[in-house]
Amino acid sequence: MRIESAVHFAAALVLAPLLLGIINRTKALAAGRAGQPLLQPYFDIIKLLRKGAVYSRTTTWVFRLGPAAGLAAVTLALAFVPFGGAPALLAFSGDFLLVVYLLAAARFATVVAALDTGSSFEGMGASREVQFSALAEPALLLGIIAVARAAPGAASLSACLGAVDGRAWAASGPALALAAAAWLIVFLAENARIPVDDPATHLELTMIHEVMVLDHGGPDLAYILYGAALKMWVLGALLAAVLVPVRTGAWAVDCAAAAAGMILLAVLVGAIESSMARLRLVRVPQLLIAASALSVLALILLMR
Amino acid sequence: MHGMTDGIMAALLVLNLALLGTSRLAFCITLVAAQGVLTGLLPLVSSSGVTLRTLFLAAAVIALKGVVFPRLLSNAIRGADVRREVEPYVGWGLSLLLGLGLLGISFWLGAKLPLPAAAPEAALVVPGAICTILIGLLVIVSRKKAVTQVAGYLVLENGIAAFGLAVVPDVPLLIELGILLDVFVAVFVMAIMIYRISQEFDHIDADRLSALKG
Amino acid sequence: MPGDVLWLVIALPAAGSLLCLALPSARAILAATAAGVPAIATASGAVVWQVFAQGPLMTTGRWLHLDALSAYHLAVMMLIFALSSVFARVYFGAEPVPLSRRRARRFGALWYGALAAMALVVLSNNLGIMWVGVEATTLLTAFLICLHVSPVSLEATWKYLIVCSVGVAFAFMGTLLMGSAAAACSLGGTQFLNWTYVHDIAPRLDPKVVKLAFIFLLVGYGTKAGLAPLHSWLPDAHSQAPAPVSALFSGFLLNTALYCIMRFIPIVEMATGNAGWSRGLLVFFGLFSILLAAAFILAQHDLKRLLAYHSVEHLGIIAVGLGLGPLGSFAALFHTLNHSVCKALGFFSAGRVGQIYGTHDMRRITGALKAHALWGAGLFGSILALIGLAPFAIFLSEFLIVKAAAETRAYGTLVIFLAGAGVVFIGALRHAIDMAWGTPAAAPAPRRTSVLEGALVVAPLALLLVLGLWMPRPFQDMLSSAARILGGAAQ
Repeated sequence: MRIESAVHFAAALVLAPLLLGIINRTKALAAGRAGQPLLQPYFDIIKLLRKGAVYSRTTTWVFRLGPAAGLAAVTLALAFVPFGGAPALLAFSGDFLLVVYLLAAARFATVVAALDTGSSFEGMGASREVQFSALAEPALLLGIIAVARAAPGAASLSACLGAVDGRAWAASGPALALAAAAWLIVFLAENARIPVDDPATHLELTMIHEVMVLDHGGPDLAYILYGAALKMWVLGALLAAVLVPVRTGAWAVDCAAAAAGMILLAVLVGAIESSMARLRLVRVPQLLIAASALSVLALILLMR
Repeated sequence: MHGMTDGIMAALLVLNLALLGTSRLAFCITLVAAQGVLTGLLPLVSSSGVTLRTLFLAAAVIALKGVVFPRLLSNAIRGADVRREVEPYVGWGLSLLLGLGLLGISFWLGAKLPLPAAAPEAALVVPGAICTILIGLLVIVSRKKAVTQVAGYLVLENGIAAFGLAVVPDVPLLIELGILLDVFVAVFVMAIMIYRISQEFDHIDADRLSALKG
Repeated sequence: MPGDVLWLVIALPAAGSLLCLALPSARAILAATAAGVPAIATASGAVVWQVFAQGPLMTTGRWLHLDALSAYHLAVMMLIFALSSVFARVYFGAEPVPLSRRRARRFGALWYGALAAMALVVLSNNLGIMWVGVEATTLLTAFLICLHVSPVSLEATWKYLIVCSVGVAFAFMGTLLMGSAAAACSLGGTQFLNWTYVHDIAPRLDPKVVKLAFIFLLVGYGTKAGLAPLHSWLPDAHSQAPAPVSALFSGFLLNTALYCIMRFIPIVEMATGNAGWSRGLLVFFGLFSILLAAAFILAQHDLKRLLAYHSVEHLGIIAVGLGLGPLGSFAALFHTLNHSVCKALGFFSAGRVGQIYGTHDMRRITGALKAHALWGAGLFGSILALIGLAPFAIFLSEFLIVKAAAETRAYGTLVIFLAGAGVVFIGALRHAIDMAWGTPAAAPAPRRTSVLEGALVVAPLALLLVLGLWMPRPFQDMLSSAARILGGAAQ
């Protein structure tokens, strides 16, 4: 294990909510507003942590366990994600399967907690969340396999993302571009962004992610918000690793390039949110199938 | 030039999938036009390279498929006041899944077909072309609007053009021009037909043209 | 070089097409078609005669090629075109609403254009140009179907356009594959799509690629030829087009596509070791067409659709004949002429009888012989000839096909063929008798009958009768040399 890996992990834990801040700021600027401070997500989390939680009498331990379990799973997943060409804290052959399933485990925790409330709205949100992520998962996984094929001999996330450099792009550029496009759609869907979900809405009928966490409050909600930020970092780091193939070997340069990539990604998401409307719910599966299609296409381009 | 061919074929395939997932007719026409332009570029990056002949052909194909055909088709539907393909025989999600299935079949077929050994840079062209042909057929049989069917026909033509480039690289120029002329007249005639159907019926739903039976 | 005269066979109709655009009135255009096409046909007859007297013709550059097979088809085509052009004048002259100048111009230009395109198909030595010609015939004839704009005619035109364009696109795939097989054996140059060249190197072609190519070609051109189950456009287009156009469609448009398949048969057979692979496929599609057509003929109420399904049946019979060895090929070619002439007469009569009764519904057409003796007789006679009644020529050619099946010991084919033909015989005869006799539904106004109309009915029937009883020696030689090309001979 290298010291950079530990530094990256710590930095990710600290910086993750900043991505949300950048997205919100971009949206505000695009709309001509000054917007909230960049650090607002931090303030929200700290405020929530200081509050107490209220639990309904109909809920059980499942409801209390959900947020903490979800946060734990996402944090563990983060430990496998490399940054700027440097390997991650943990890495072994085939670890990408574990990462995908850790993300799924986090989702499972949120979903069962939502179902535990017995509220019809939360059940509806849970059902949508599960449906959409079932469609998004193949896109993510197939995309990872495609990238792993583009960088031969690599079977762990750290190794395969670390091998995506200028030469890999020259050899199989179309496939990498397709995989990145698929991941971008997954990124938007999994992080409940427009055009799949609208994080700003409070109309329960149309919400997906937000509706599941309506009954949570205090530290539980803080865990959920922080977990969401970490998940955004995990998926964003995957995208940045493919889209920013700067692998000079000098740590500072690679790291700065990757960080710039993350910031640009956040700005891009803000731009997408400002320029697009949310899709109708029936169209969302189609978008996700399209993402899977792109991943399959990327894989097929590399298979021959 | 290897990477260029791959890139163009990959883009063709993405456009195919996009066509399966879109319902707006105007966007359909744009997608097909983009695909036509890409097909026109294909001879320039193929084994014969940039010559006077390929340049001339590419210019002709791009002008026809990229400019003339979209114009003709948009003019044809202007009078009909139809913007969307509604309720196709095969839904959008299923179409996409079928498209993926066809993609897999094409790559399998591309490996199986007893074709004369193609140049290595054309390795992606044959399966890509087969997939384009199959998806063109899927669009023709699964959509109801007449104009979408024409779009499917054009996709089919694009696929055949790419296929021809891979298996018979130097078809005499006269034949290439004859084929282009035929495709041009075909789209021209179909556009006039769509216009007339929209005048006569107040719709352009090919599935509602069903008076003749038996 | 005398071969260059072939260009004229295409150039003259093209010029006629332009002429029609320039003429001032509908009458003039119809007169120009009725006089011009027979003149072109006569001139082409001289070229055809040249081929049978002195051997094949080839233009410089090897673009056009006229051998016995194509010359025979050219002759049939010109005959049908000449008859239909004369009939067009009669038919449009008897329409309740005379043809406007615009429509007449469209008709004349497209009619001549279709003639030029079909001549291109038949004459072309280059397989790519041949395909271009077939696609051109589809596009040029599309607007002939909806000459009279109505919802049903537009529907028929749309189906025709889409089904045939897509089908013929597959034939192009097949042509490309054939070209790739030929290019693999050639030393470069642009000759590899020429029929004469591919024919010469046929035994060296990769059999797998050739088989694949032939499947595409059969499906593609088979769609245009109306072989079941690819015939879906055919009854609609034939029934909605004006009668002269239907006659042309049934009389030669279908044969144009079948001719393209014929061109490939010897190549495929030589490449696959003369194992009869392609012929087996043809027999299968042919029998399927016969059976399917028989079923639809039994249940048919529309006169023109009845005739259209007869086309499916007879094209099937020709395909079966092609699949049954040398005698079968001979019979199939003979049948081509018989069917085309007979079907042209059938659609002529159906068109005129339809005009008299104002409908094509066979339940409302009764007593045709009383209503109009000449065209009633034409209708009755043509249906009798179509179902293979002796002594008309179709009986003879079908008998030859049965004989060929027996000689090649294809007893299964024989039984299915006879069963299909029997069902058609009974089904169509019932319709024919009901239409010919009985009291006319409405007392039609007496009509003058011109000599021309009389000739249009008598000439085809006489031709069928004569050929059924006695085959002239030169005609027999013509058929034999065309059939030899189907068997693989160079000329």
